[in-house]
Amino acid sequence: MFGTQSKRDLSLEIQSQIPILRPSIHARRANITVKFQDLYGFTVEGNVDDANILNEVREKVREQGRVWWAFEASKGANWYLQTHVTSALKSSLKFSALVNAITLKKLIRKGIPPVLRPKVWFSLSGAAKKKSTVPDSYYNDLIIAVEGKLTPATKQIDHDLPRTFPGHPWLDTPEGHASLRRVLVGYSFRDSDVGYCQGLNYVAALLLLVMKTEEDAFWMLAVLLENVLVNDCYSSNLSGCHVEQRVFKDLLKKKCPRVHAHLEALDFDVSLVATEWFLCLFSKSLPSETTLRVWDVLFYEGAKVLLNMALAIFKVFVKQLILTSQVDAIRTCFHTPQLSSKPIKMHAWGY
Amino acid sequence: MATNGHNNLNAKLVLLGDMGAGKSSLVLRFVKGQFLEFQESTIGAAFFSQTLAVNDATVKFEIWDTAGQERYHSLAPMYYRGAAAAIIVYDITSADSFTRAKKWVQELQKQGNPNMVMALAGNKADLEEKRKVTADEARVYADENGLFFMETSAKTAANVNDIFHEIAKRLPRAQPTQNPAGMVLVDRPAEGARAASCSYGFQNLGTLYSV
Ligand SMILES: Nc1nc2c(ncn2[C@@H]2O[C@H](COP(=O)(O)OP(=O)(O)O)[C@@H](O)[C@H]2O)c(=O)[nH]1
Ligand SMILES: [Mg+2]
Repeated sequence: MFGTQSKRDLSLEIQSQIPILRPSIHARRANITVKFQDLYGFTVEGNVDDANILNEVREKVREQGRVWWAFEASKGANWYLQTHVTSALKSSLKFSALVNAITLKKLIRKGIPPVLRPKVWFSLSGAAKKKSTVPDSYYNDLIIAVEGKLTPATKQIDHDLPRTFPGHPWLDTPEGHASLRRVLVGYSFRDSDVGYCQGLNYVAALLLLVMKTEEDAFWMLAVLLENVLVNDCYSSNLSGCHVEQRVFKDLLKKKCPRVHAHLEALDFDVSLVATEWFLCLFSKSLPSETTLRVWDVLFYEGAKVLLNMALAIFKVFVKQLILTSQVDAIRTCFHTPQLSSKPIKMHAWGY
Repeated sequence: MATNGHNNLNAKLVLLGDMGAGKSSLVLRFVKGQFLEFQESTIGAAFFSQTLAVNDATVKFEIWDTAGQERYHSLAPMYYRGAAAAIIVYDITSADSFTRAKKWVQELQKQGNPNMVMALAGNKADLEEKRKVTADEARVYADENGLFFMETSAKTAANVNDIFHEIAKRLPRAQPTQNPAGMVLVDRPAEGARAASCSYGFQNLGTLYSV
């Protein structure tokens, strides 16, 4: 259902008729547990309050949609393409372009409406430009050329396909597996230093869900690894990831000295929880819409948002962390449902 | 140390082994009693805890289930540092995974805690018809290297609880006033299995809209 160009307007469809949730309800003592699918087809489980939060989120997403449409109406459909620093600020320094750039940054930090994500991401991340430097048939040729080839990378990819968001209504189907396989295998041949690194399976899967077409997802993956993230995040010994962890530790020490000192005293290495965040870009730890909000900023402003997000998560749990002296309780602080039911404040997104 | 009837021990345990050997499945079986045909692949590491009663004491395992892909190797020291126990897992249907297991053993012997209790698990024992590594070969290796060895199956549950029990029994019980790294005596009742589900919960609710 998510796989083809013709279904591009899926999220528009979802958006225009977002129902008030009437989830199936299982009473469990005083708690009511509900289960439903979020905007991107992931199963969500939580209590009734969580369901209300999700309804609020959907309302906010709709509001954001209205704001974006209003801009399109007044400034033209592709107004945001004329704002990029290189094209606007450097070359023409036109006042309106500058205003647009500031507006756009603010808008993006509040979230790109799901229906516009493929288009906005593709142009603002540099994926479109990257794609335009090679012949149109690049992706198809690549896929055909590598078909049937077996390498250590393809073996590991095959192993992980059914283990990537198992149970998802599209990803966990033969069609979804085949699509994800082509993107990952194709990329492993494009850059043999990276080949395949576990973690990319989740990233590519979410890109497929957002971009709707395999080829666009492939280019987003390429621009992400080649231009957006720090170098060598995923190659042979994950050196880029080690660098990120180091930077994050220093940042935590500076911004949350009490938490840092407390964890240090317990001999708890923050990398124990943060490694997965950086390698999966939060896709395995945060709800899909929340993850994609982070990615909205990632593709426009760059990789520093990952550090800010990690810091924001720590800030949310400051009190709990300070009171905790058991390693498993610390780990529990970062357990997904708890993480996600707290509003994560935008303040940490500033500088 | 004299036991006083509620002697509680915390022990950090790490699982190491090739990708796909069944580390996550063993933990899931032990902690939740479940088996999934398709277990989400582990990135970095996942954390679980589970408490076992052994004789007159309870042992609370703090379990780090690590990612098996070769390039994640550089992260491993962070997980086995200070561990009181390790389970090195291989898949009996893959000779490569056995070779990889031996490398882990060597590394732990060189870099790990010298008092670490080490177990070698030959997993997927239910796949007898595809076996590539004999139990004898593994047992000989384990004996030579001071590990204890069991063949396990996360699928049928064979020997899964047993291997954790055996580790719990072998953990050094006498605690000098100074605790060795990775082991902390706690003086409060053990938490139930509730804490066990720590790394569950996949995509869930949330909001970033507070401005
Ligand atoms: N038949 C069988 N399959 C198993 C067993 N343990 C794990 N598996 C399967 O092997 C695959 C890899 O398991 P996983 O626990 O993810 O391995 P990990 O990468 O070491 O964590 C999964 O598809 C499991 O269902 C077992 O004891 N028997
Ligand atoms: Mg695993």
